[in-house]
Amino acid sequence: MRRPILLLSLCLATPAFGEPARSDVAVTVYQNLALVQDTRQLDLPAGRSRQEFPNVSGQISPETVTLNGTDVGVIEQNFDFDLLSPSKMMEKAVGETITLVRTNPANGREERERAKVLAVNGGVVLQIGDRIEVLRDDGLPVRVIFDKVPENLRARPTLSVTVEAAKAGVRPVTLSYLTPGIGWKADYVALFDEAAGRIDVQGWVTLTNTTGTTFSNADTLLVAGTAGEGEPAYGRGYRPPPPPGNRPGTQTPDRESLGDFYLYPLKERTTIANQQTKQVSFPDVSGAMAKRAYVYRNGWLGALDRGGSVDSVLQFSSSRDQGLGDALPAGTVRVYMKDARGNAQFIGEQNIGHTPMGSDIGLKTGEAFDVKVQPVVVSRQKMSDSRWRTVMRYTLSNARPRPVTVDLIQSGLWGDVRIVEQSHPSERPSADDALWHVPVPANGETVATATFDTRY
Amino acid sequence: MAFRRLVPLLGLLAAPALGQAIAVSPGPDSVSVTVYRDPRRGADQPFKLDWLNGYALISERRTIDIPAGEADLRFEGVAGGILPQSAIVTGLPDAVVEKNRDAWLLSPGSLLDASLGRRVHVRRTSLATGEVAETDAVIRSGADGAVVLESPAGIETLRCTGLPETLVYSHVPAGLSAKPTLSVRTRGTRAARVTVTLSYLASGFDWQADYIAELSRDGTRMDLFAWLTLANGDETGFARADTQAVAGRVNRESDDRSEPEAPPIRLECWPGGTTTSDLREYQPPPPAPPPVMALDVSARRPNLESAVPVTSIGGEQFFQTARQEGLGDLKLYRIPEPVTVAAKSQKQVALLRRPRIPVHRVYRWRVSGEEAHGLTPTLVTRNRDEDGLGLPLPAGRVAFFEVFEGRRILVGQGKIDDVAVGEPLELEADVSSEIVSTVVRERDGPDWDDYRVTVTNAKPFAVDVEIELDDVNARFDVPGRRLEERNGKPLWRIRVPANGRAELRYRMKDEA
Repeated sequence: MRRPILLLSLCLATPAFGEPARSDVAVTVYQNLALVQDTRQLDLPAGRSRQEFPNVSGQISPETVTLNGTDVGVIEQNFDFDLLSPSKMMEKAVGETITLVRTNPANGREERERAKVLAVNGGVVLQIGDRIEVLRDDGLPVRVIFDKVPENLRARPTLSVTVEAAKAGVRPVTLSYLTPGIGWKADYVALFDEAAGRIDVQGWVTLTNTTGTTFSNADTLLVAGTAGEGEPAYGRGYRPPPPPGNRPGTQTPDRESLGDFYLYPLKERTTIANQQTKQVSFPDVSGAMAKRAYVYRNGWLGALDRGGSVDSVLQFSSSRDQGLGDALPAGTVRVYMKDARGNAQFIGEQNIGHTPMGSDIGLKTGEAFDVKVQPVVVSRQKMSDSRWRTVMRYTLSNARPRPVTVDLIQSGLWGDVRIVEQSHPSERPSADDALWHVPVPANGETVATATFDTRY
Repeated sequence: MAFRRLVPLLGLLAAPALGQAIAVSPGPDSVSVTVYRDPRRGADQPFKLDWLNGYALISERRTIDIPAGEADLRFEGVAGGILPQSAIVTGLPDAVVEKNRDAWLLSPGSLLDASLGRRVHVRRTSLATGEVAETDAVIRSGADGAVVLESPAGIETLRCTGLPETLVYSHVPAGLSAKPTLSVRTRGTRAARVTVTLSYLASGFDWQADYIAELSRDGTRMDLFAWLTLANGDETGFARADTQAVAGRVNRESDDRSEPEAPPIRLECWPGGTTTSDLREYQPPPPAPPPVMALDVSARRPNLESAVPVTSIGGEQFFQTARQEGLGDLKLYRIPEPVTVAAKSQKQVALLRRPRIPVHRVYRWRVSGEEAHGLTPTLVTRNRDEDGLGLPLPAGRVAFFEVFEGRRILVGQGKIDDVAVGEPLELEADVSSEIVSTVVRERDGPDWDDYRVTVTNAKPFAVDVEIELDDVNARFDVPGRRLEERNGKPLWRIRVPANGRAELRYRMKDEA
């Protein structure tokens, strides 16, 4: 007679075979953060009741949780992270009575006893009737059966909310919270046709979910921009200054925006599974004019015994005409070129930040094997106590069968540096840098010289 | 009875939601592998086979039957080191809805974790009678900290009892896969058999160039040979692959690759102390170690540091040689015929072979203060057609050999950086102990200090020596003569006679 009742309670205790009933999830994904809005149909009794939300993100930030529903007031929210385990169960059973099932190793016969847990310190001490025993002291098999799962012990960190409802009944209740562990970035596949001077770019949105939870059939909106909790300030080592040719744009794309963010809604609902990397095609695929540029940046008094490879920079624009014609969310641009057989080969990648439409973009894809610069300090002469005259010579070589122009930068010109003499006209993009555009003939060499009047 | 009837119904409910059609591509028809160097490895560092930090671009052609309507196309047999966000699929007739890479792997832990709240069976076997008893139970805890079950008897734990017991699952929960799986969701208008190209970057590959320079006895000619050595550290092999290697420096960003998750079960029971567990057990003394064998050379792992492939390059032996072509600002080396790039293996083909290159041997040093130091023997030539070269030389290590009475002898090791056509090629070996420069400060003055540099030659023949005077903030003056300049530094060029010496006096003024 007892058995069916137990079974019934067992079934009732497990309402969640699969997903909880009718949970409508909307996820707004930021760079490495997501706002989850989880709407569930809850049958609330009138008055106070405690509601549990077991299937929230495993990395939920409990302090950001809000619960909204008609005629529902929140009394308190609890986030229980005391996880259920055998030792926790036994610790919580101190003073309680448990059932022991002993199995006779010789004949397999079972024998049941009720026992009171006296203490759990290093081992389990039990009181059985008027005897005191240590659990499994003789090493023989003993099953321990607890009557119930202690309150507050959860399989996973669980959010519970005590609500007060004005009247009983089913109503939609929306739980919203922030969670790290889910984020997105853009990945761009750029096929560069050097002969035609064109680049074809296809963008992908890459969503990554490591929260430990699957968001099923979620209405997903991506937000480009950093909302507060962006990248941590630490852990970002020195990055060389970007190559010349980067200029933020001033055009507005035809896109929804909110505040300073562009919004990228996904066209259809999607399931963002745990440990999944999901890619969704970016709305626009387009080509743009692109060209190859060469940049070499030499530090102050930098000199080499042999030529050093120049940076190979791919320059294009995100402007409406002749460019990609869109704002580009932060991500990685991977550049490919076709080899002699027409197969696309990878030639380098670089990260870009959020890039407005109309920007000029210069990406360092790598270093040129065939285009090199050898800087040499020809002489250093002390003119007075505080002035030096430094002669630099830069030998630019090009083993390619066509002429190139190298943007040669001498940096480290802080202070009142004057260029006394130079072989090529220079620009001063900043107080620190002098920039020469030096043409180098095909399979040839160009020597550029400059004399600096410096304080040190 | 009620229970018995419930089970199949619940089993149905627990089955994965009715998904779209699934089409599986078990492997590629043909594949192309392009290997890139570890960008942070120097020219003189060999790669380590158990720690390969280069990468590869893998392009696979696959034939797949696409059903009409919404379908999941699963690509199996991709490299384990795949960088999922770099994956590109071309050739599909219809738009790609989304690409997914699922890395929640099937493991004892994930099986338990994904079955949380689901019905499983507990199977206990009696050691006395062999009788097997199965009970239904519902999993109440995650894999972290062992298993708590709710059974008709009450709340129980697994494996704390001392009984042989285990969990039996009725199916694998949806979303768990044996290997990280790349899949593409498409929506086709009609069923079709198509050939698609799947390209992706994968980590765990590397390649290097290893040069072997064989010098003539008089040091005026050199036979140059190079191996292209590429390594695949991935667990996936590629049969009959078009194989390429790319030389030059390619920019990479750190890839934030999320490692596949395959959690184990941490079985933890309640404290199991007994009345005797605090007693110190008698520890028998450890057995004497086995006698040390004489150094067994054959059993030792080959030392990769010095594993310079030794090849005779003088003869007319045939080598399959990689073909070089330009790829933008990089150089691409193509192995002329498809080869198998096996899993966890290293492969070598000839990179280049140029016999009888005229070279000039000079001994070089750069002096910047008082010291005595051996000079660096350097073979100088120019990477030009007329000098027997004239081809791009990717960075790598160089081993120098000379033939002595018919036997090849390693006489030095060095490296070269990427050398473009037309550039000087300067191969530096180690340091000579026979040609030594000694710098002595002879006199300190108010402005100028007097120095003397002496080069001694212990060889029975004359050698060419180049000494550079180096100090960026100093001026040099050589009384009575004018030195030529190289790279902004005064250069003393001298031929030192056999078993002889040469001397130079100079003055230096430090202006810093």
